[in-house]
Amino acid sequence: MKRAKGFLTSRGMITVLWVLGIVVIWEIGAFYIGQVKRTPENVLPHIYQIIESVFSTKAVSSGQTALQVVLTSAGATLTRAGIGFLIGMACGFILALLMSLFHMVEKIAFPYLMIIQMIPILGMAPIVLAITHDIGLSRIVIAAVLTFYPVSANTLAGFKSVEKEKHDLMYLCAANKFQVYTKTMIPSCVPYFFTGLKISAPMAVTASILVDTLQGDGGMGCMLSQSLKHAMSIMVFWQLIFFSALIGILSFYLMGLIERLVLRHKPARELRAKEEAE
Amino acid sequence: MSANNVEIMLKDIGMVYQADGKEVPALTGVSLTIQKGEFISLLGPSGCGKTTLLRIVANLLQPTSGEIQIEGNTTRAARLQRKYGMVFQNPVLYDWRTVGKNVELPLEIMKIKKEDRKARVKSMLELVGLSKFSEHYPQQLSGGMQQRVGIARALAIRPEILLMDEPFSALDEFTKEKLHEDLLRIWSKTNKTVLFVTHNIAEAVFLSDRVCVLSPHPGRLSAVVDITLPRPRIKEVRDTTEFTTLVAKVRGSFEGV
Repeated sequence: MKRAKGFLTSRGMITVLWVLGIVVIWEIGAFYIGQVKRTPENVLPHIYQIIESVFSTKAVSSGQTALQVVLTSAGATLTRAGIGFLIGMACGFILALLMSLFHMVEKIAFPYLMIIQMIPILGMAPIVLAITHDIGLSRIVIAAVLTFYPVSANTLAGFKSVEKEKHDLMYLCAANKFQVYTKTMIPSCVPYFFTGLKISAPMAVTASILVDTLQGDGGMGCMLSQSLKHAMSIMVFWQLIFFSALIGILSFYLMGLIERLVLRHKPARELRAKEEAE
Repeated sequence: MSANNVEIMLKDIGMVYQADGKEVPALTGVSLTIQKGEFISLLGPSGCGKTTLLRIVANLLQPTSGEIQIEGNTTRAARLQRKYGMVFQNPVLYDWRTVGKNVELPLEIMKIKKEDRKARVKSMLELVGLSKFSEHYPQQLSGGMQQRVGIARALAIRPEILLMDEPFSALDEFTKEKLHEDLLRIWSKTNKTVLFVTHNIAEAVFLSDRVCVLSPHPGRLSAVVDITLPRPRIKEVRDTTEFTTLVAKVRGSFEGV
């Protein structure tokens, strides 16, 4: 009995319940739409229809199957999102480092960081596109800009969270500034840095998809808006919806995974050494 | 005692903090001479400036008046020569480093060769009785063991002066008593000068050669009590009448608390 209860409240079980709940609600909706709409696929298809389309070999657009269309467009978008993410990550970290090293830099740069963060992507994207004249480059820039702030702000918070005693310790060891950063400050901010990455990774993906919609040049966002208009390729639309949601979630977990690999030292507290050994 | 045996010389030390444009005196007129190898406690209630005094000795603060010398030199020179080892109230260990690597950290900063570092870490961990735990992470250890790592790290750089800022105040009574004995054993082996900040009278009496009683508002040195208990001291010393008499004497020397 106790075990059954433990299983029902476990994290895995909760996830399963959530997925089941969504599937049930989705299917009820799809069933209803099927009754009242002439082209229900455009509003809400059944989940099995979407899954079926993934494995379908029927060409839907210029000789490609639905899945091929999805993967090609995703490749175009996600590589740009990934490059932008890496650039934003590097710049964010370097700026945080500079802000931590020089108080003046923080005073000058931080307000601008906040402002950049406040501009909606949809407002910023056309400007970036107008400047760069290249949709691929725009995707990179927008993903980088969005990644930049969470990484920078969190990393800076990490630098500031270092205990006063650790600074005292470094001072008493007569450590130079380089040693203070490499031995104490940078390792201390790693968890904060990853918090920033976890926030910005799904954002970078979303932003790149949004940027796609500005210009018909492949890419997931572009395909989303095009495929919705044709009955032939409507399943491409639904596949893209699921695929982008999946990528967003996976990007978050990927960051968590990398963090765990980097911070291998975090053992479970239960591993406490025996007190008797003292 | 000859003059060249003097480790720390404090002359009329004063410290004034600026707060909201007003001057708040934290310490006034502290004069004290500490010999090499002495175990000195700075005892007093919160606000008496005992930690401020410790930080002045450690070159973490500059006194606003008075003079301080470490072996006839400035505190800055002493710090740059790595004459200070410090143990904090919280162990302040690096949770991404193993116990051994924590002790090794100051040695890395001193750019000591790797083989020498390993040897020193090994002997330090033996000294504090944690040889078996070199590869453990700090969060796997109990509070008492973590504080031992802190002591090992402080001693690793072979300092002249061991500065301890209420190092055992967060520990339970049993662990504390064990660490008191261990600390005295380590001290007798290493011959460091110890400056030990505490607000626990019995602790100060048990450990010290001399107890410096500080009183607040403003922080000042109100008495220095010689602790004549024989060494080595074991925990049963606490049950003797000499011990209770000294505790009473120290307690009686507080002013205006």
